[in-house]
Amino acid sequence: MFEDDETLQMYIEESLDHLGDIESDLLTIEEAGENIDLDLVNNVFRAAHSVKGGAGFMGLTTIKDLSHHLENVLGLIRTNELIPDSTRISVLLKGFDKLETLLKNIETSNDVDVSDHIAALENITKSSLPETQQDMVSEVINIVLQDGRIFQQVSLYEIEKYKAEGKNLFLVEYDLINDIQRKGKNPIEVLNSLQKTGTIIDSRIDFDSVGTLDDTAVPSRIPFQVLFASIIEYDMTETLFDINKRYIHAITDQMIVSTSAIEVVPQSMALAGKAEPEVLIQQEKTASPPQTVLDPPAPKTTVAQAASPAAPPKEVGKIAKETVKPVEKDLQVAAKTQTSLRVNVGLLDTLMNLAGELVLSRNQLLQGINSSNSKATEVSGQRIDMITSELQEAIMKTRMQPIANILNKFTRVVRDLSQQLGKTIELEIEGKDVELDKTILESINDPLTHLVRNSVDHGIETPLEREQMGKQPTGTIMLKAFHEAGQVNLVISDDGKGLYPEKISASAIDKGLVTEQQVADMSEKNKMELIFLPGFSTAKEVTDVSGRGVGMDVVVTNIETLGGIIELDSTPGQGTTIQIKLPLTLAIIPSQITSVGNERYALPQVNLNELLRIPAAQVKEKIETVGDAAVVRLRGELLPLLNLSEMLGIERTYTDSKGKKVHRDRRESTADRRSKHHLTTEDALSDAPDAPPVEREKKDRRYHAASAINIAVVSAGAFKYGLIVDQLHDSEEIVVKPVGRHLKKCAAYAGATIMGDGKVALILDISNLAQMADLSTIFEAGQVAKAAEAAAAAAKDQVALLTFKNGEKEHFAAPLNLVERIERIQTSDIEQIGNKKVVQYRGGALPLYELAQVADFSPLSQKEQQEVIVFKVKDRELGLMVTPPIDAMELSLDIDPSTLKQTAISGSMIINGHTTLLVDIFEMIKTLNPDWFVQEANVAAEMAKDGEKIILFAEDSAFFRNQVKGFIEEDGFKVIEAEDGLIAWELLKERVDEIDLVLTDLEMPNMDGFEFTKRIKENPEYAHLKVIALTSLASEAHIEKGKTVGIDDYQIKLDREKLMKTVRKHLNLS
Amino acid sequence: MTEMNKDSASKDIEFATFYVGGALCGIDILNIQEINKNFEITKVPQASDYVEGILNLRGRIVTIIDLGKKLGLDPVNKDKDNRNIIVNSDDEHIGLLVGSISDVVLAQKNDIEPAPSNIGGAKGKFFQGVLKTETQLIGILDIDEVLKD
Repeated sequence: MFEDDETLQMYIEESLDHLGDIESDLLTIEEAGENIDLDLVNNVFRAAHSVKGGAGFMGLTTIKDLSHHLENVLGLIRTNELIPDSTRISVLLKGFDKLETLLKNIETSNDVDVSDHIAALENITKSSLPETQQDMVSEVINIVLQDGRIFQQVSLYEIEKYKAEGKNLFLVEYDLINDIQRKGKNPIEVLNSLQKTGTIIDSRIDFDSVGTLDDTAVPSRIPFQVLFASIIEYDMTETLFDINKRYIHAITDQMIVSTSAIEVVPQSMALAGKAEPEVLIQQEKTASPPQTVLDPPAPKTTVAQAASPAAPPKEVGKIAKETVKPVEKDLQVAAKTQTSLRVNVGLLDTLMNLAGELVLSRNQLLQGINSSNSKATEVSGQRIDMITSELQEAIMKTRMQPIANILNKFTRVVRDLSQQLGKTIELEIEGKDVELDKTILESINDPLTHLVRNSVDHGIETPLEREQMGKQPTGTIMLKAFHEAGQVNLVISDDGKGLYPEKISASAIDKGLVTEQQVADMSEKNKMELIFLPGFSTAKEVTDVSGRGVGMDVVVTNIETLGGIIELDSTPGQGTTIQIKLPLTLAIIPSQITSVGNERYALPQVNLNELLRIPAAQVKEKIETVGDAAVVRLRGELLPLLNLSEMLGIERTYTDSKGKKVHRDRRESTADRRSKHHLTTEDALSDAPDAPPVEREKKDRRYHAASAINIAVVSAGAFKYGLIVDQLHDSEEIVVKPVGRHLKKCAAYAGATIMGDGKVALILDISNLAQMADLSTIFEAGQVAKAAEAAAAAAKDQVALLTFKNGEKEHFAAPLNLVERIERIQTSDIEQIGNKKVVQYRGGALPLYELAQVADFSPLSQKEQQEVIVFKVKDRELGLMVTPPIDAMELSLDIDPSTLKQTAISGSMIINGHTTLLVDIFEMIKTLNPDWFVQEANVAAEMAKDGEKIILFAEDSAFFRNQVKGFIEEDGFKVIEAEDGLIAWELLKERVDEIDLVLTDLEMPNMDGFEFTKRIKENPEYAHLKVIALTSLASEAHIEKGKTVGIDDYQIKLDREKLMKTVRKHLNLS
Repeated sequence: MTEMNKDSASKDIEFATFYVGGALCGIDILNIQEINKNFEITKVPQASDYVEGILNLRGRIVTIIDLGKKLGLDPVNKDKDNRNIIVNSDDEHIGLLVGSISDVVLAQKNDIEPAPSNIGGAKGKFFQGVLKTETQLIGILDIDEVLKD
């Protein structure tokens, strides 16, 4: 074999480059079928040809043979003599695969047996030729030169082919020493330039004429022979080839001699020649000759059988199954990390420029520092800041590679797998241009392959199943890549059978991965996510396609090590969508800086959901303990809390609000806030021992803002939790640095970084922290607590309220869902027009009111700034001027609807120890602006004429019953009330003929709204009735559950406008 | 060059010596990258107790080890004489926090005597041997053993 490393390397790189696009080209050719796209075929043809050209010269006989045969088939396709059907393309694809493998393992390539590939290819070539010519395909001839030397083993078929095209054949003998090296050329270049004027049929180095080291005479030349076909006449060749005419031989028919005429086959060429004559025999026997280790046994039979066009289609699936292994193997080869990278020259220039600027700025900075010129220092500091960012960006770009590099491969994976499984699947790829860091790209290859295989194997059904389901027989898998929020999103979705949460959970219980108790509390999504657990596999049998002993857990782990997130979404029967979010790069990550004790910790932004600050006064009510774990209630969800200082065993600190001194925190637990009573009596005593007798603040620090609890809400995989830290600082881009070997076993850290002040901060590993704390148990406890609470809450309705004040001692609340915004305006901006106040707001006039206008309350005191709550009613906005503090809270309504009832006030309740009045916004507006409601009044009047519509309304809370009934009746409907589902059910049975619509609360004693609806919908007599459910808090789980029993619509209590709209819609009233 | 290797037994070795508590220890000066007194150390909770913390050494993260604790002696007393001896081991810089540094001692390899099982309370396995000078006994540290994690 040729030993010049540099040339060889160049050849390999160039060849792999040629082969790069072939796969997709071939697949496109396959798709086009008879309508051949000549450009594409030419592309592939040229690729095979170039590979062949170089291989001959390098002495890579196996590669040469294989590419030669590939080229033959492609040549036939090019001339329309062969239709590229699926079986033929399969053979070509496998041939090119093999070629790639050979190129990648160039040292051993000559020892690899490719005879089966060649046989299959020859078969295709033969089938397209008339019988008389068929033998030519495998026949080889020798060319005998005038001086008696022989150029051996040339395919007769090719010679004849070019002769038939009217081309002249030449054997050109370059001298490697004189013609190429001394002229400063490179053999590959020579071959490439020859390609422009004709076709290289074969090329090789005539080692025989060089002689051996034992020969006394030093060889004067190393002949490099090229068999060349061109339209150029013999006379012109001297100028073309740039060598002495003596070494250019025109080939005439007399020079072509059949191989059988020559007996001696020199050893050096034997290898190449041998394979071909034997091929025929193998074809007949289909017996496998002994194999080299490199060649996996599977493709042997496959290629041979698949190649014969007569192979019945049924077998394709069976045969192809065997090909899985080689495909996999090839993928692994492809996943081998690259050591060199192509970079755009323009980008390099940019880098150079930036480096230049950086040097200049450094000089300026040094000068500025030396001359103590602070202005100059500052300016150059800014410049360096800018240049660094640009430099960072440019360097990042050099590492960026289009995701097409890996996505394109899936066309093939899907094609092969679907054929073997007897499915028809279309793969759509979007966003090929999206770029990702090279390392990330390499590492997502395996997880992605796994996911795509899963979709093909488990997701998409067979065409028959699909038709039964009423779907298109062809399944679709969609691979989509796009940028979003500084991350790369990868979406793999299929329209297959989807995931059945019940099946998954049942299987997980069977396998002992979870308990039934745990499953009972899980949402559908949580159940589906069980497939991420180690040791889980939904397929009944482990197939050789996706079940390879690796589960989804490995995929998740892989993606999480990359700092990515994986999300699962599926509709049973409709399909599955898996979304992966990946950082653009691993080296620099945006992070939230936090601190505990005296140290700072960086928290990767990917894991961060939100920051939460619980004011000192609310700690007691917001943070609860379940078992011995703390949880916080966040928008109705219980979030387990981890105290970073406890996890890491650091002393907590707090900063004294006055002295700015940092003290040790002595609280025992997060929720530890001593009660007021406690304070007054033991206050002085309890603080005395460790604190020097400093003057105590009037207000204790635990009620001071600095004593609030800072929580970073983070998520990693299935875990979402709150991490309590002492302080939250800025968000910064940090550079990840590895830590030394002594710290490797500290799982809590993902690395370290250097902060602006030169000190080191540790980077937290969110998912490991969760594991360290054994969060799953806390979760469980939380779930149980939640269930208990839900039961308790069933009796009472939770509602979200906005509380505010009017006068200093007048407390009010309004339903939060009617609130648009809260604004603070300058009092000077308020304009008085007639008896109305307005403020210019977002290009319009916002009418302003205060409670004193509608009822007997004190007028607001004059201030410079005025807080305004903006409500939206009847598509119009209006502002209610109030006095802060304004706060939002969720609580159980326990309203006294009578005692303090007056205009615009629907009742009163105790909130935080204050009697709070609930403002009825609608009534307020009605009092202030009766004309807004003219339309409704008209409609109501009209309806009364036509005969009233009757609504059955089930609601256990008297307050809501009166409220809702009130405004429904105002709009001209009639209401039949029921105190719970059971009463409503009885009423319905009695008066079904009158009732036009059912409105029901969900949480009710005796019979809840779900059961009530279910009964209605199951009974054919009542099933025609529309059911609208009223909830105080629309939770996903509720809506989901409601859908299954047949609830037609959901509305939130107290959102009068929307409710009435919905009622009208369902009664087909305008 | 070849000559020097031949009689390496009598080759001069320079030992940097330092105090850890009351014990005088030494290491081959060629193992030492630098000696500094940078104590902007970031604590690493949950690391082994002998890890003092990590340090930014010109952009590299360097683990600092309290040599006293590592050797099984009392922790190094924090005072103004403390130094970090930065050594290079397995392509990684690791800092040894020592009480104070002392002289550089010139010795020959065959001057070093085998270490007793216990040197001033420190385990013998951490020592290659002992070097006796006119006035003192220097424990020569086996750096690989000391830096084993």
